[in-house]
Amino acid sequence: MFLAFNEIRRGPVRFSLLALAIGLLLFLVLFQQAIQNGLITSFVGALRNQSAPVIVYSLDGQRTLQGSTISEEVEASIRSVDGIDAAARVDQATFTVRVDDETSDASILGTEDPSLGRPAELSGGRAPEAEGEAIGSDTDFAVGDEVTVVAGGDADPITIEVVGVARDVQLSVEPTLFTDLATYEAAVRAVNPRAPTVPVNAIFVRPADGVDPSELADRINEAAPDADAVTREVAADTAPGVAQVRQSFQIIFALYAMVVPLVTGLFFLIITLQKARSLTLLRAMGARTGTLAGALVTQVVAVTVAGIVAGVGLYALVTGGAQIGGLTLRFDPTLVAVWAAGFLLLAVVGSLASLRRVLRIDPIDATTGPGT
Amino acid sequence: MKLALKELRRRPGRFIAATAVLTVLAVLLMFLGGLLDGLLAGSTGAYRAQRAELIVYSSTARESLIRSRVDAALRDAVDATDGVEATGGLGTVQLGARPGDDPESRDLISIALLGYELAPRGLPDEPPAEGEVIADSTLEAEGIEEGDTLLLGPARREVTVTGFVDDTGYSGQISLWGSLDTWRSVTADNRPDRTFADDAVAALVVRVDGDASEVADRIDGATDGATNTLTIDEAIEALPGVSQQRSTFNQIIGVTAAIALVVVGLFFALITVERTSLYGILKAIGASSATLFGGVLLQAVLLALLASALGSLAALGLDALIPPGSLPFDITPSRLTTNVALMVVAAVAGCAFSLRRVLRIDPAAAIGAAS
Amino acid sequence: MTSTDQTSDPSDASEPSSAGTTGSGPSALRMVDVRKVYRSGDDEVVALDCDRLIVDPGEIVALVGPSGSGKTTLCSIAGGLLQATEGVVEVDGRDITDLSPSELTDFRRTAVGFVFQTVNLVPFLTARENLLVVDELGGRRNRDGRKAKERADQLLEELGLTDRAGNLPAALSGGQRQRVAIGRALMNDPALVLFDEPTSALDSKLGDQVVRLIRDEMKARGTSSIIVTHDDRITHYADRTVHIEDGRIAS
Repeated sequence: MFLAFNEIRRGPVRFSLLALAIGLLLFLVLFQQAIQNGLITSFVGALRNQSAPVIVYSLDGQRTLQGSTISEEVEASIRSVDGIDAAARVDQATFTVRVDDETSDASILGTEDPSLGRPAELSGGRAPEAEGEAIGSDTDFAVGDEVTVVAGGDADPITIEVVGVARDVQLSVEPTLFTDLATYEAAVRAVNPRAPTVPVNAIFVRPADGVDPSELADRINEAAPDADAVTREVAADTAPGVAQVRQSFQIIFALYAMVVPLVTGLFFLIITLQKARSLTLLRAMGARTGTLAGALVTQVVAVTVAGIVAGVGLYALVTGGAQIGGLTLRFDPTLVAVWAAGFLLLAVVGSLASLRRVLRIDPIDATTGPGT
Repeated sequence: MKLALKELRRRPGRFIAATAVLTVLAVLLMFLGGLLDGLLAGSTGAYRAQRAELIVYSSTARESLIRSRVDAALRDAVDATDGVEATGGLGTVQLGARPGDDPESRDLISIALLGYELAPRGLPDEPPAEGEVIADSTLEAEGIEEGDTLLLGPARREVTVTGFVDDTGYSGQISLWGSLDTWRSVTADNRPDRTFADDAVAALVVRVDGDASEVADRIDGATDGATNTLTIDEAIEALPGVSQQRSTFNQIIGVTAAIALVVVGLFFALITVERTSLYGILKAIGASSATLFGGVLLQAVLLALLASALGSLAALGLDALIPPGSLPFDITPSRLTTNVALMVVAAVAGCAFSLRRVLRIDPAAAIGAAS
Repeated sequence: MTSTDQTSDPSDASEPSSAGTTGSGPSALRMVDVRKVYRSGDDEVVALDCDRLIVDPGEIVALVGPSGSGKTTLCSIAGGLLQATEGVVEVDGRDITDLSPSELTDFRRTAVGFVFQTVNLVPFLTARENLLVVDELGGRRNRDGRKAKERADQLLEELGLTDRAGNLPAALSGGQRQRVAIGRALMNDPALVLFDEPTSALDSKLGDQVVRLIRDEMKARGTSSIIVTHDDRITHYADRTVHIEDGRIAS
């Protein structure tokens, strides 16, 4: 549209600044979404992406594996519930480990049933077949890594071999290893040789065919009042910290979203008022209201799209596998589409006031111009 | 300058919209800052309250209080080190607590029980008697009062709350402060795999006589590397999540300030276009570009200050609305000052976009120019 | 250089006529061999080519010529808004030919007054404040608040605007706005005031009033002025008329 783009070309600085503001806002929103998702995945990826649909903690565990202890009686009550296809003891704790020459923390999760509690999909390597083998989170381990659990006191350290890796399976923002229960217990004894029996942290359950996981969880809770059974999705969503992270970010997004219509609205209102006289002249010369309104909308869309492109570009740069403070930020096309559409809508809504002004121009005013 | 002020007073309309946008950004900055400060305070209170200079972990603990173990022999070595004035044991266990009158409650309160010897600020020099604890004031939001009991962990060990203390959170949990004996026995009952002997502790806080980092090195030397001694500030940085939260939030805050800069730049760029003829006349009758641009700066700074004031008020209102305990949120005076400074700097920098245009306005164009 | 033309006045129009000058001292304006040339690529546009123009203290000079003739360029150079390409420009005895832009700004603020054709006043300042703005632009060192206020009030009274002193320009008629502009031009007690078509936007009665006002004020103060105009009344009231065409002054 001639009018629309001509004006943009005459005042490139102004329009670029607006596009920049929109771009920065979009980038911030997408960036923070990536952080939010990355954070949540680093906290509970292991839970969300493992193979057991139902997780049973002890109530006192407060939805953390490490804090939860399942006594023998509670375990018996759990296993007696109808509709269970398989149930497995699962233990988890944080250990100090060494790979090559680097020492770090790692979460080790041991399960007595390879089909329950391990990552549902691998991104490399194979599943463990023998004791001493494990699947590792792929951001921290590579296939073939030899992980030594640092021993305490006079015990011998033990070594675990990473034979497979998986994506998005961290627990509590730590490198995570999935192995069998025997290897796990060996690790515990390596750190504390005098540890008495190793308690069971949780029971992972697979419902029988046709049984709904959340129904099964309810049944288990009824049968064992000290148990806290939840589906794996609920376990992930209600893990300590996750809800808080979500809540905080919601408020932040809402505030950023508010800024968009305000900024675009402000901009277009001002430039419309500034060129009110020229617009009136155009109308007097025979331009149709639809043409002028169309030019405005074209500008809004053009500038917003430019801003969106800039914002998405920046977001793509930052999420190109970047790690911020240990979080992997991923480029999410669905998210981009949703927010880009949202911003476009917000920008148009913001410019409605200017649109109204354009529609109200009366060509007769061209003859009685203001004098000074 | 008075010219710029008069314009603000006589023609407020055009400035109101920009102030509205800047206010929303100021609220954002306050919210982000308040969230960060709240998260940090809740994580680091227990350490900031310590009235000591160093903390000694075992070297296998990787700077985590939860994994650290200091036995009697190690402690003796630390005590004997030159420059060590006093040492106090410290230990923690994280459990779920039920109210004393509801042992079967399914709603657990996340607490961290801390045993101490050298009293942190706000706590009595003599730790509470066995079975008694002083709780962080955030516990009150859960409806617990002085004299109430709590049942800790699956073993439901009973403790009585005998008082409250402010700002001693540990790792985002509500802290309960008691004697080392209380801590050891509660841990033994609830975490049998993590028992501590009667003379063992998780870590030591140390009061020094002399330069803290030197003494720290000496301690680690004296124990032959079995300990890892940090200053309290270093230990705070090493607390889980602290440095990542800080850097992430600061990046976000930085970009938000950049947006404020762009908004100011945008707004004043628009206004300057409108003022071309006015500036032309003023320049013709003898106004320098410096004077005119100074007026622009003054207006930008005033808008930024106004937006900051409104934004701070709104944030304080938000703070009052958020029920305590649901979101970590803390408005500190230093955060307020920082944000105001950020807004002002952003506003001043944003004016740079108008500088060229103001400089280029040609007074000669004022003659013979139709308005 | 000068050519005789149709007028019966035999005197050299670029020099002041002996009749009608009231002041003494250095010339209000002295322009010698002043040229203003605009170059674009190989083309050259001569906007002004003035051999000699002298305005005496207290003289009113009407500047007449078709549009594009260089009137605006001449006034701009005389008023220190524009620098000449060649020649010497002196105002009130001071050589402004080679002043830097910031020196020119100071010069305009202290030595010259302008009354533009249409937009003159700051729209959000009252009449009185519009007069005071010149003083305020002077910066801390050069200001004299109280004296300026007294002078402003005095000028407003002389111009018959005392009861309009607190009005914004939008609340003033065209003639009143013009008078405020004249007052502002006189605030810094200039040696030279430059008027650009001061009566073009006014009806005949108002125009007449303004013209007389200009003459009375200028003469009373001994302030020189150059008035660009098409209006015959002004040429009638002026001490002499200078014709300009294609950048050159005719007589």
